[in-house]
Amino acid sequence: MNRKIILVGLNHRTAGVEVREKFALTDLEHVEKGLLAHCPLQECMALSTCNRVEIVAVTRNVPEREAMDAVIQYWAGVCKGPADLLWENTYRYADLEAVEHLFTVACSLDSMVMGEPQILGQLKDAYRSAVDEGSAKTIINRLLHKSFSVAKRVRTETAIASSAVSISYAAVELAKKIFGNLSGTKAMLVGAGEMAELAATHLLHSGVQSIIIANRTLSRAKELAANLGGEPIQIESMPDRLPDVDIVISSTGSPVAVIKAKDVKQVLKRRKNKPMFFIDIAVPRDIDPDVNQLDNVYLYDIDDLKEVVEENMAQRQEEAGKARAVVGAETVIFSNWLKSLELQPTIVDLVDRGEEIALRELGKTLKKIGQVDEKTRNALETLVLSVAHKTLHEPICFLKRRTQEEGSAERFIDLARRMFNLDDETVPSTAHMDRKTTACSPEDIEQFIDASKNKEQ
Amino acid sequence: MGLFETLHILIIALYALGTLLFLTGSGTGNNRLRRVSVWFAAAGFALNTLDLAMVLLDDRAALSGSAFYFNIMAWCVLALYFFLWWRLRLEFLAITALPLALLLFVASLALGGIRVVMPPVLTSLFFVLHIGALVLTIGVLTMAFGAGVAFLYYNRKLKTKAGLSSMGRDVPSLDKFDTVNRWAVLFGFPLYTLGLFSTYIWYLIAPDRPFAWDAMKVVSLAVWFLYAFLFHQRTVLGWRGRKPAVLAIWVFAGMCISLLHHAVTFRAMP
Repeated sequence: MNRKIILVGLNHRTAGVEVREKFALTDLEHVEKGLLAHCPLQECMALSTCNRVEIVAVTRNVPEREAMDAVIQYWAGVCKGPADLLWENTYRYADLEAVEHLFTVACSLDSMVMGEPQILGQLKDAYRSAVDEGSAKTIINRLLHKSFSVAKRVRTETAIASSAVSISYAAVELAKKIFGNLSGTKAMLVGAGEMAELAATHLLHSGVQSIIIANRTLSRAKELAANLGGEPIQIESMPDRLPDVDIVISSTGSPVAVIKAKDVKQVLKRRKNKPMFFIDIAVPRDIDPDVNQLDNVYLYDIDDLKEVVEENMAQRQEEAGKARAVVGAETVIFSNWLKSLELQPTIVDLVDRGEEIALRELGKTLKKIGQVDEKTRNALETLVLSVAHKTLHEPICFLKRRTQEEGSAERFIDLARRMFNLDDETVPSTAHMDRKTTACSPEDIEQFIDASKNKEQ
Repeated sequence: MGLFETLHILIIALYALGTLLFLTGSGTGNNRLRRVSVWFAAAGFALNTLDLAMVLLDDRAALSGSAFYFNIMAWCVLALYFFLWWRLRLEFLAITALPLALLLFVASLALGGIRVVMPPVLTSLFFVLHIGALVLTIGVLTMAFGAGVAFLYYNRKLKTKAGLSSMGRDVPSLDKFDTVNRWAVLFGFPLYTLGLFSTYIWYLIAPDRPFAWDAMKVVSLAVWFLYAFLFHQRTVLGWRGRKPAVLAIWVFAGMCISLLHHAVTFRAMP
């Protein structure tokens, strides 16, 4: 077969922001239609995010270099930029390298923040749009489905996405380690800085019940309270309200400590030692470091949070090795499927499957009827194998006819492989959201056959 | 090999397998292994229940002067573990519960349990008040010990900010560990009080056994005072977190010493 998978793309590593801006694809549907119309491609799908553009395609009967040239020419044309510049800033992969790269992207191993979950969603959106436009067919369909399952496997089997890699998210994760479920907890923002606002937003999304915003300027506190849905107070009232809150995020511009250890000690007494979590993201620091010496009080300043983030990043890098091994193994599995899209191996697999079923059923029957002589056994074996072969004659003839037609070979071979489950795949129960669940055990199928035959009679 | 022996070997095998897999799973961070180990423990627990039921059905008098109190303790520790797992999702406590259940079950076979001479008239009442309450207290304190050690370990990590990445998402929060301590204090202390003071009442109603102070009674009373202090600080002064965790560990240690002392003393009795 002469079709090849190719992938042309650029990302934050190969191209600067100006180049990425220049060659970002905004109207993906139009681009995909155009690629199929102007380039020697059978299938294609494009993905465009702020950090990357990827075009994955299946070529017609042309050399891969020619197809890649055509894609870049068309892409440069759409973006009204020089093709040479685009060529310089892109990476180009063919066959298994292209497959492996796409899996790497789906698993977020190639992302700026490794392990971030957004890329998988963006890839799913791009695929959905390609399916709607009809530019994703047999191979792209299978490739993308596989990349989603590889990404899922990587997330379950490795800790690539298990720890926070942003300051505000790290603060939320730490709060969960102390309080567990955050619903029912109360937070206070001391000072209304941008970073504190971000951390507060994360906390609210994680279930924090309510938030108090204490600021020197009440109008700014009110403004922020309106955004976050909190209660604005003057910073002078802050000490009186401290016993009511479990989490305190401080980011004032004060040159001296706003919250002192001896005050917190009193607060703890009033709270009957209920734990408190202080996040100090101000420089110079707002909270007396001695606060951390008190029992049931946890204080993290900006450097501590940065260290947590760095440690988590290092852990993700370690996990990346495991994830790459998964990607490598899955690429080999995909390449096996790709090879099976030829007629010859599919016929062999079909016949093997038929013979296997026939011999298995013969074995069951022989067990029931007891010992038979060698001659009878051979005759029965010939009978069941011949039934298996004869049953496959028509499907094989059909496949041979269809694969002689331009562009339909993969579709029918893939269909046959799926119908006879030649790749031993299990369909997850959630694979088709809007489809009724049907039982497919051998007994169910037997019942279904009987019921259908009875209806017919 | 009789039914009992086979059952005992099966229970030991299941508890041992559960313990081994849980420790390996915790060491390697393998969640699946940990989950499988809990299933093994659950199977062992079911057989342990069956074993206890069979002993009781076979001989009702087994409760008085019997040799299976360690066996009941093993059962009780796991019963409380499964209760906490159900209420707080604290799978993590298996790290203490499984090895201790195994140890107690093996000890019940090796040592033959603690022989307790019962007053003939009030056997059932005495059993419920004394043995039942104390066995439950041991179970509760085992959980508090596990939760206390875990609390101190993770509290230190959060305070010093060292090695936080090893504190994965599946590690329960400090609040959950503290909740176990709170339950251990609120339910364990009244139970221990009941268990301990019912002995003294027994001495009052059994005229042929005059009360006399000995090392065992002194240790038991010292543990009670420590437990009472923990109960007071926790309920009245609102202690939480590190201090009650440390105290619970000490109370558990005292209980273990007292229990061992009981085992040795009663074995030595004619």
